[in-house]
Amino acid sequence: MPDMSVLAGPQQHQFNPYAENGGTILAIAGADFTVVAGDTRQSEGYSIQTRYAPKVFRLTDRAVLAVNGFAADGNMFVKKVKQRLEWYRHAHAKDMPLRAIARLIQTMLYAQRFFPYYVYNILGGIEEDGSGAVYSFDPVGSYEREACRAAGAAQSLVQPFLDNQIYFKNQTAAPGQSHPTHLPLSDVLSIVIDSFTSATERHIEVGDGLEIYIVLAKGRSLQGVEGLRGLREMSSREDGERVFVLQRELKKD
Amino acid sequence: MATADGGAYSYSLTVFSPSGKLVQIEHALAAVSQGTTSLGIKASNGIVIATEKKSSSILIDDSMIEKVAVICPNIGIVYSGMGPDFRILIAKARKSAQAYWKIYGEYPPTLVLTQEIATVMQQATQSGGVRPYGVSLLVAGYDVHRGPTLYQVDPSGSYWAWKASAIGKNMINAKTFLEKRYNDDISLEDAIHTALLTLKEGFEGQMTEKTLEIGIITVPSTEELEAGKIGGETGRPKPTFRKLTEEEVRDYLAL
Amino acid sequence: MSIMDHNGGSVIAMAGKDCVAIASDLRLGAGAQTIAMNFEKVFPVTDRLYMGLPGLATDVITLREKFRYLTNMFHIKESRPLQPSTFAHLLSSTLYERRFGPYFCEPVLAGLELTPSGTYQPYIAGTDLIGCLNFAKDFIVAGTASDKLFGVAEGLWEPDLGPEDLFETISQTLLNSVDRDAYSGWGAIVHVITADKVVTRTLKGRMD
Repeated sequence: MPDMSVLAGPQQHQFNPYAENGGTILAIAGADFTVVAGDTRQSEGYSIQTRYAPKVFRLTDRAVLAVNGFAADGNMFVKKVKQRLEWYRHAHAKDMPLRAIARLIQTMLYAQRFFPYYVYNILGGIEEDGSGAVYSFDPVGSYEREACRAAGAAQSLVQPFLDNQIYFKNQTAAPGQSHPTHLPLSDVLSIVIDSFTSATERHIEVGDGLEIYIVLAKGRSLQGVEGLRGLREMSSREDGERVFVLQRELKKD
Repeated sequence: MATADGGAYSYSLTVFSPSGKLVQIEHALAAVSQGTTSLGIKASNGIVIATEKKSSSILIDDSMIEKVAVICPNIGIVYSGMGPDFRILIAKARKSAQAYWKIYGEYPPTLVLTQEIATVMQQATQSGGVRPYGVSLLVAGYDVHRGPTLYQVDPSGSYWAWKASAIGKNMINAKTFLEKRYNDDISLEDAIHTALLTLKEGFEGQMTEKTLEIGIITVPSTEELEAGKIGGETGRPKPTFRKLTEEEVRDYLAL
Repeated sequence: MSIMDHNGGSVIAMAGKDCVAIASDLRLGAGAQTIAMNFEKVFPVTDRLYMGLPGLATDVITLREKFRYLTNMFHIKESRPLQPSTFAHLLSSTLYERRFGPYFCEPVLAGLELTPSGTYQPYIAGTDLIGCLNFAKDFIVAGTASDKLFGVAEGLWEPDLGPEDLFETISQTLLNSVDRDAYSGWGAIVHVITADKVVTRTLKGRMD
């Protein structure tokens, strides 16, 4: 077959600076803890680039950031946030509070309003009042504090499940009773693991590995989940908020 | 006009004779009753259909002749009458069975296929420029809903369900014989022997595995039906109709 | 926007222990505008077989009538029960007839199949718009909220649910999924099929 494309007019090339690298992230706030999780598969189209590319990062002992979308932008964005947090430490001799990190992230994202970081951010951690908090962002900095949020490739699979299991949507409490506003840590971990195994089953871009960060308020113990397989402490000090990471395998097909 | 051969009403199919007969159909039945005898017997656990395979010359290679035909894995047909007409009906029946399979993913129940053939045969009694099929058929089949069933189809397109029936040259005697021999709880093995005995009455020449054709329906067990749903090892359900091999026919004759 | 999404709507079927369930939302839209809140998409085929037809509403109605005709003809001609597996093939071949100008529907089947041993076995199946059959042991989803339904059903479904638990599971799956789908919702209808009866319930959801 002769190449006829020349007849169709001048060949035009466009550089696309963005890619979509799949994966899913998710965060749930408890009364005095927050769980932030992400799978570790990184893909482009139908190809898996790596089975271990972390999307969840410890920022401070009380803040964890999950980034999803274009991996290059995500990594660079985390790097810049970490840099700003270090400058803050140098200037103020303390870690930046969670709500301040959230506002910082908005400012940094909106600064790129006309060439955005192609990334959905979910920030999780402990507020200054000791409560668990989740902040979710769009790529240009719109943000909101919530009790739970899923983002990424399997957002549409996971979010309605979370609505049902965390917010008890479409469920009526027994007469004279009410639904809890916050779930215990063990329940939250089960829901997170179930969400990711479900997403892995039905979405090709989700799988390989699961990293679940657990941020505990000051003085709060792990309460029954300390024996979990694959749990590792990440905190820099023992007397403040503490960060743990729980690693699990997901299906690789 | 009213001559012995049917007169003015004997050729045009679409015209009834004043006595209410379509004479061409009667002529077709006459052609059938000149054909070799065929019979079918329904047993408690199956059906046997059988026919005499007679060739006009010893020079003919009779291994080529096929008078009992497989339509689909659950249905077989035998005929008496005109071989060429039978061939056409077989082709149509097979096509119909496959068309049904393409729509429903399963082969037609015996009644449905019988109706389909009967419709084809009826159409030849009402269309212009054609003559009726010069055959009667015995259709034996198995389906889950009705179990084993045996039908006879005539050139008019009429059909009946039988417990046992015979068509062709010796049908009167054969039917009388079957009426004496038949009972409701006869086994398939006994039915095959009864079929051979019935054919033996009025058989022309030597009855051997070369001059007989037998087809049988076997009722599958529940286990076989469950396996058939999945398709078994071959991906196809086990056939419930099959023709007996010459060896098998010889063994039955020896008994 | 795809023509499949124009009228909106979703259907889900689930298998349980000796029972199946099938449910749909009730919205009929024209793009983002809601036209009606009582548009059922699940129809009885036999006493023990129901078919859901999410997709383009005109084709939903056309196919409903077409299969009503075809099943009536089957019963008259063959005077025998129409089994789900037989109907599934009829569905598949009927849709494939329009291979190059398809009906814009993705049918979902839920029924009980009579086994040779005389018991009834759960049977669920789905097809794409040209009749490619998909048999599942667990659940079948289709419609504008299919991705959400996949996620929630995968999380909530478990094997061998009884009729009451299956009803709860399919209802929660559907309601929570359509609440995250702009094109589905406005209430739902659920049919739970057991060997001796079909229980139909209409659910109120978020009416927005």
